Amino acid sequence: MIELIDVYKVYKLGLHEVVALRGINLKIEDGEFVAIMGPSGSGKSTLLYLIGCLDKPTRGKVLIDGCDTSKLSDRELTELRRDKIGFIFQQYYLIPTLTALENVELPMVFKGVPKAERVKRAEELLEIVGLGSKKDRKPRELSGGEQQRVAIARALANRPTILLCDEPKGNLDTKSGEVVMNIIKRLNVEEGVTVVLVTHDPSLKAYADRVVSIRDGVIYADRVSFEKSEES
Amino acid sequence: MLIELALRNLRRVKVRSALAVAGIVIGVMAISSIGIFGESLKATILENFKDVANEIIITPDYTHGYTYIDERTLEKLERISYGEIIPIKSKSALVSYKDKKTYLTVYGIDSKDAKALFSLEVGSYRGCLVGGSVAEYFKLRVGSKVAVESKEFRVGGIIRKEARYDINPNFAVVLPVRDFDKLFNEKKKYTMVIVKVSKLEDVDRVKNYVDEVVNRKESKVSVFEMRSIIDRINKAFAQVTLFLMAIASVSLLVAGVSILNIMLMSTIERTKEIGIMRAIGAYRETILKLFLTEALILGLVGSVVGGCLSFLGGYVIDMLILKTAKYVFQPSSLLYVTLGISFGIATAVISALYPAWKASRLEPIQALRYE
Repeated sequence: MIELIDVYKVYKLGLHEVVALRGINLKIEDGEFVAIMGPSGSGKSTLLYLIGCLDKPTRGKVLIDGCDTSKLSDRELTELRRDKIGFIFQQYYLIPTLTALENVELPMVFKGVPKAERVKRAEELLEIVGLGSKKDRKPRELSGGEQQRVAIARALANRPTILLCDEPKGNLDTKSGEVVMNIIKRLNVEEGVTVVLVTHDPSLKAYADRVVSIRDGVIYADRVSFEKSEES
Repeated sequence: MLIELALRNLRRVKVRSALAVAGIVIGVMAISSIGIFGESLKATILENFKDVANEIIITPDYTHGYTYIDERTLEKLERISYGEIIPIKSKSALVSYKDKKTYLTVYGIDSKDAKALFSLEVGSYRGCLVGGSVAEYFKLRVGSKVAVESKEFRVGGIIRKEARYDINPNFAVVLPVRDFDKLFNEKKKYTMVIVKVSKLEDVDRVKNYVDEVVNRKESKVSVFEMRSIIDRINKAFAQVTLFLMAIASVSLLVAGVSILNIMLMSTIERTKEIGIMRAIGAYRETILKLFLTEALILGLVGSVVGGCLSFLGGYVIDMLILKTAKYVFQPSSLLYVTLGISFGIATAVISALYPAWKASRLEPIQALRYE
């Protein structure tokens, strides 16, 4: 479970202070698929980075499975990210010198998983995202959609319970974007992975159970997805 | 995997890595070649001393009023069983030939002992021997008749010129002891006794013997071992070599600065990558290790190549300055090459400490936001 309690985030840009988040309260249950929607500059990415323990709130608390992240050391935060959280970025952010397989291996290398085991796991994951045959290619030898699928495989390497996605199909064409979104959705439904996705693309609402709308650092709407409620 | 990643990061910027390696190669080569040269220089100098290293020179202790070694002391010294005992008498005397004359040192040394001490340019050890410079001054040849004080002697041989520290035969005339005694009437007074030990380790035994037997009651003689000169040359040349190496190590310093520079560039260029690695679970130490590994690889490759090339460098310097390369491949060279290699590796790693630390301090969020 992810819980944000009265979270503020203030950035200092030179002499100016920019308030990115002002008093966010949010609770995300295990297995939920939450889309955080908002225009650029609304603070949605900041919110994602706070949940992902990549950044610390100026005020307020971020609890991951009941654990107050502000009380953790850098080392503990690193381990939390490594073991519980998977990241998917708009820019894919693969390591350019490593092959697809090695990129997927990397989080397991950091965790100290033995070589044979991590290769097996990485191959399985690439198979799941449909890239089993391209495991030895470098990122630049893959299309955008393929790179994003490698990034998904990498995010899943250490079997995280939370998947954080920052505009996952932002740089993709409609078709590969759909492939990527279907993989994420399937992980949520079949594996019970909690998915938090930030986007300004309204079409992604369709995949979510719940849509949180944010503007100027404040949540102004939080409702169960339209499609979802219609189904039930 | 970390090593593999480091290797690929280096390969990604081939030219830059190659230049950094070249810097280390030059630095290590400079240090090690100079070290090899210094060692060769020392070996060349010491070669002149290798015949006298086993000599112990016993002279009267002037500070205690002794101006000569008497017969009784000599008898005691002659009981030394560790090597050859060569008693030497000497006196300053007027030497003349044709219309030239000059005061010279005249030694009284038996021909058997003269054989052990000097090598000849020409002639034989029989009769009167003259030093190389004396022969030049008087234009002497074997068979010339030279006058010492009032008495004439036939020159039997001319002593080869050499720089030595025990006695200086260049400006001297060497007479057989019998003739010397007749001339000066100083039968029982020796100015010097040279002990040539057969084993270098016996030098200390001889010193102890002299201290305990001859100098037991009072200090009659002083003992000077040639070995101590060799020690001094060793020390002096070690300092010279060290100084030269210190100058050469400036080039390694420059190489270090260039590694610092390229590593800093890498941290900036790879800011985003560092951020990603931190985001997906790399500790700060992991980033630190990655950068240090890269520097270590640069240092290792550069140093080993530089170390091998320094034999070539040493060879070239030796040929240019000493005109011989026979001392390039001696065990001490290996020492200097090892030293150069360790310095090279250390320089690379130390230079990378700051960039690596800086990279490891990057906050993941700032690294990811970095454009």
